[in-house]
Amino acid sequence: MSTATPTVTTATPLLELRQVVKLFGGVHALEGIDLTVGRGEIVAVVGDNGAGKSTLLKIISGLQPSDGGEILFDGKPVELRRPLDSTALGIETVYQDLALCDNLDTVQNLFLGREQARSLLCGARLRRADMEHRAQETIRRLGAKIPSLRTPVGRLSGGQRQSIAVCRSTLSDPRLVLMDEPTAALGVEQSAGVLNLIRRLRAEHGCAIVLISHALRDVLDVADRIVVLRLGGKVAEFDNTERTTSSDQLVAAITGISAP
Amino acid sequence: MTTSNQVPATVTATASPPPAARFEDRRFSRRSALDAIAGQYRFVPVLLMLAVIWAFFTTQNSAFLGSRNLTGLLTQIVVTATIALGIVFVLLLAEIDLSVAANSGASATLTAILVVNHHWSAWLGLLAGIAAGAAVGLVQGAIVTQFGVPSFVVTLGAQLALLGAILVLLPGGTGQVSLFGTGIATLSSTYLPPALAWVLMAAGVAAFVLLRSLAVRETRNRGMQVSFVRAVAIPGVLVAAAGVTAVAVLNSYLGVPLPVVILFALLTVFSYLTTQTPFGLHLYAVGANPDAARRAGIPVARVKMIAFSLAGALAALGGILAASRLLGVSASSGTGTVLLESIAAAVIGGTSLFGGRGSVWDALLGALVIGSISNGLDLIGAQTVVKYVAEGSILVLAATVDAILTRGSLFARATK
Repeated sequence: MSTATPTVTTATPLLELRQVVKLFGGVHALEGIDLTVGRGEIVAVVGDNGAGKSTLLKIISGLQPSDGGEILFDGKPVELRRPLDSTALGIETVYQDLALCDNLDTVQNLFLGREQARSLLCGARLRRADMEHRAQETIRRLGAKIPSLRTPVGRLSGGQRQSIAVCRSTLSDPRLVLMDEPTAALGVEQSAGVLNLIRRLRAEHGCAIVLISHALRDVLDVADRIVVLRLGGKVAEFDNTERTTSSDQLVAAITGISAP
Repeated sequence: MTTSNQVPATVTATASPPPAARFEDRRFSRRSALDAIAGQYRFVPVLLMLAVIWAFFTTQNSAFLGSRNLTGLLTQIVVTATIALGIVFVLLLAEIDLSVAANSGASATLTAILVVNHHWSAWLGLLAGIAAGAAVGLVQGAIVTQFGVPSFVVTLGAQLALLGAILVLLPGGTGQVSLFGTGIATLSSTYLPPALAWVLMAAGVAAFVLLRSLAVRETRNRGMQVSFVRAVAIPGVLVAAAGVTAVAVLNSYLGVPLPVVILFALLTVFSYLTTQTPFGLHLYAVGANPDAARRAGIPVARVKMIAFSLAGALAALGGILAASRLLGVSASSGTGTVLLESIAAAVIGGTSLFGGRGSVWDALLGALVIGSISNGLDLIGAQTVVKYVAEGSILVLAATVDAILTRGSLFARATK
């Protein structure tokens, strides 16, 4: 696959996976997956338990390097061996457990690990006001509802915590955001809020989103394209730009039992 | 006297809550009272407990609150508070260090031998002892982080090894080293001239007010609201009042003892480190959710190793201050109730055993509680048995309060 293709920037997808393979001790967790994600596209990956959704996500986020195949970002081949490789490319991940510290407030969680502080000579003092201001802006732009930025996040609801995790992923102006089951732990109303947040994320930042989810209704609602995995292979792909896919079609593809 | 990570402010990220949220508000306020005691205002019940203890012993013996006894009390608690300060760092990370007492004894023995037998200057000996303590802490931190051995076991083993090291270091014949007449001994017999004490206290209060005012100005420059009275004026007046009272009382006897000055200098520096810098924030993050911290790019192992080193260094300093006060080291250095009192001080002061919650000032408050009980019982001539039972019970009581607060408040999720 080393043919020197002329760079056609408009048509190059943001992320392209070609024949990606992942082995777990000889077992194929993923066998030859092709996946393309366009700029500003929302792609959902669905499938039953053990279909390989999480493995695929971990490969893109750099948590678990692939064992074969090719990954192109912006049309250029890239190696994603550590989470740092992915973040350097502008890929952010919102984990299912959200990775929040309950004893810290919203601002502290948003900037966790990338705090803004003065130089060591000036006492390394945190730029609390600057971070709080930026946090306010981010939250307002994404339309998230957080009662107070100074409340420890342990006190916030599941939906609010999910919102904070999503807001955190946007702070570095990412080009691609990966989301692992963003609505799994949420009620109906909170799910709707998070789906709104996902749409705003695309609208405001223009970044592409890959989300894996069990919630077919949410997926049909928000995704432009739906990729179905079964037993480590890609079995179907639906164009959902017009929101025309039916959940029967999806269920049939996921289970492998054709719809009547 | 408390330090929180930020100046309290009202931030309106969203408009007023919809009417539907009114029922939740009532539950919210009851929980927020618990949260306040578990969080920012954790020091309030501790101060109340201290007030009760002081009131009780004053009724038993009016000399308890005299400037002579209070000077003695402060000198007694310096060692416990210094070691407890190091314990706060490891507790914040949800770790424990059971070797601090033995480490304090071993490091003090090393210092004493270097100064007395090898004629090092007191300063060099002091630094060597602190460095040795830090090294011991670092090694333990490395074993905990690199091999994943529980800190409870690593430090328990280290404790015994260090007690052995004391026996090896001490000279064969007498089994003790006298520090009489050395620079180390003068450390605890030095009192500050009254004027200097006032200047240092004023400087400390000024730094506190200045730092808080800066934060208020920065917040306002960013167009956000913050109450000057709540953020600067009230805390400033309280801190100044505490400072003036303490210096006035100490100056009316012999003056402020040098070890007390050292303790407050350490508390000030570490208070800044834990509340104002990224490293401090990382301590709290790692203690609450190490996985989240790791994924956020925080060097978890490094943070832990630094905390264990600090605990070791502070234990060493505490041990040297103890040796200075007792004019020597012996096989009993760092044994007895030193370990229990140091850990108890941190926990009674309000640092959680479950990690992620606490303040460096807890070491001082807790040491004051423990020290007051011990001092008061001595004053009224109680037996050692009573002292042991009282101190042990209050530790268990404090740990119980900690567990209840942890389970009943917003921090419940953090402990699973």
